[in-house]
Amino acid sequence: MFDTLLDTLIELAPEIAKAAGETGLMMLICLTAALLFGGSLGILVFLTSHGQVLGRYRRFNLIANGFINVFRSFPFIILLVAVSPFTRNIVGTSIGPLAASVPLSLAAIFYFARIIEQTLRDVPRGVIEAAEAMGASPRQIVTQVLLVEARSGLILAITITAVSFLSYSAVAGVVGGGGIGDLAIRYGYYRFQTDVMLITIVLLVVLVQGVQFFGQWLARRVDKR
Amino acid sequence: MTQPLSTIPAAISLRGVSKLFKTADLSEAGVHPTDLDVAPGEIHGIIGFSGAGKSTLLRLVNLLERPDSGQVIVHGDDLTAMLPAQLRAARQRIGMIFQHFNLLHNRSVADNVAFPLRIAGASAEHIKQRVETCLAFVDLAEKADAYPSQLSGGQKQRVAIARALAPEPHVLLADEPTSALDPRTTQSLLEVLADVNRRLGVTIVLVSHEMGVIRRLCHRVTVMEGGQVVERLSLEHGKIPAGSLLSQWLRDFGSDTGESQTAPADPASSLLREAAHV
Repeated sequence: MFDTLLDTLIELAPEIAKAAGETGLMMLICLTAALLFGGSLGILVFLTSHGQVLGRYRRFNLIANGFINVFRSFPFIILLVAVSPFTRNIVGTSIGPLAASVPLSLAAIFYFARIIEQTLRDVPRGVIEAAEAMGASPRQIVTQVLLVEARSGLILAITITAVSFLSYSAVAGVVGGGGIGDLAIRYGYYRFQTDVMLITIVLLVVLVQGVQFFGQWLARRVDKR
Repeated sequence: MTQPLSTIPAAISLRGVSKLFKTADLSEAGVHPTDLDVAPGEIHGIIGFSGAGKSTLLRLVNLLERPDSGQVIVHGDDLTAMLPAQLRAARQRIGMIFQHFNLLHNRSVADNVAFPLRIAGASAEHIKQRVETCLAFVDLAEKADAYPSQLSGGQKQRVAIARALAPEPHVLLADEPTSALDPRTTQSLLEVLADVNRRLGVTIVLVSHEMGVIRRLCHRVTVMEGGQVVERLSLEHGKIPAGSLLSQWLRDFGSDTGESQTAPADPASSLLREAAHV
């Protein structure tokens, strides 16, 4: 059993390496998008929420919240298909890891925005108020207070997003997205190759454990509260 | 002694300010239209029961609460008429400390003190020098590299005072600064505040429901009830004028004994705290 597993592993090594590369690419794109756009959106939604520094922009808050909820209510596989015309428009194709990165990024942006908004709520209002009383601008409150005081929560937010979207990227395999999950589906599921399934799952487990462990370690390290 | 003369401009002058909120049971709380004058160099107390509007009145001074009406004038400048950037600049000269300290937990003591200077764009050299001076003033120079979680409550409030003093404010607003501290720590903190006033000439407006704190520190007192100023008094050496509403309260809610002037541990001195929680 172990020998055949090893044989399969060697035989499939190039496939696995290619799949791992594709997964890496998808994760890189969707996490970058989540961090930049989702992070900004989450911060803005937090700042414009009731009683916060920019609470007077109530309409923005309502609209942004609505957007986040709408995108978050789509089952991912449906979002994947629904945005495929848009994907084709910007990537030129609707298959492959690059194409899969478009719906992945969309989902990750709104997912991350919501988590960031909730993480920032852990910063005591009094601390933000103290910064306001010292003459801090909204921008300084974000960069000097919120992102510093909530930093361990933010690291955990990135961790949980990375783990979730590692799993979402497998769903993208259904429409030919590529990646480790796709490999598991094509060989393991469609061709009943249990050993391939096993190898890919072990690979994913190791990845998830690694990401989770590193995230928690880093979050603990930067937390001085 | 500290009654403002017409020739000396008030440090703080609130003109007809009001701020009303709807509370959970739909009754109104906050501050009804009122005036407040604080002379330069004085320690002005605001006292009253919970919900009297004393914290709201204090927070109107630096516009943490925007008044529904009226003017807020600090050192001759009308804060209510300022653009956001001007208001931020004005706030940098108005220090504030809080009941729960509100330090940045992920920054060291030195970085907390440096914070207001950093956001004001001060030079590294100036920041370093001010941080040292202010931490020495509150007697915490050796804690510069500690984090707030490693400090006691009294030490945290001292750091908060050092932080408030860093930009060399004219005015210090203190919102229940000792209410989270034990009696002995309260005592030593009041000495720091008295020093801030005496040695640095900073005008202090202090909100408290503890009679001992007010008597120990304040030159003048504004007494509030139900969102309104019900009495304005001058205290000579912590003595509350006989026949005033405040002395009436003191009789109603505790014994008006002499030792409460110096020992906040005395039950009589914290009678307003007791009464406020009934």
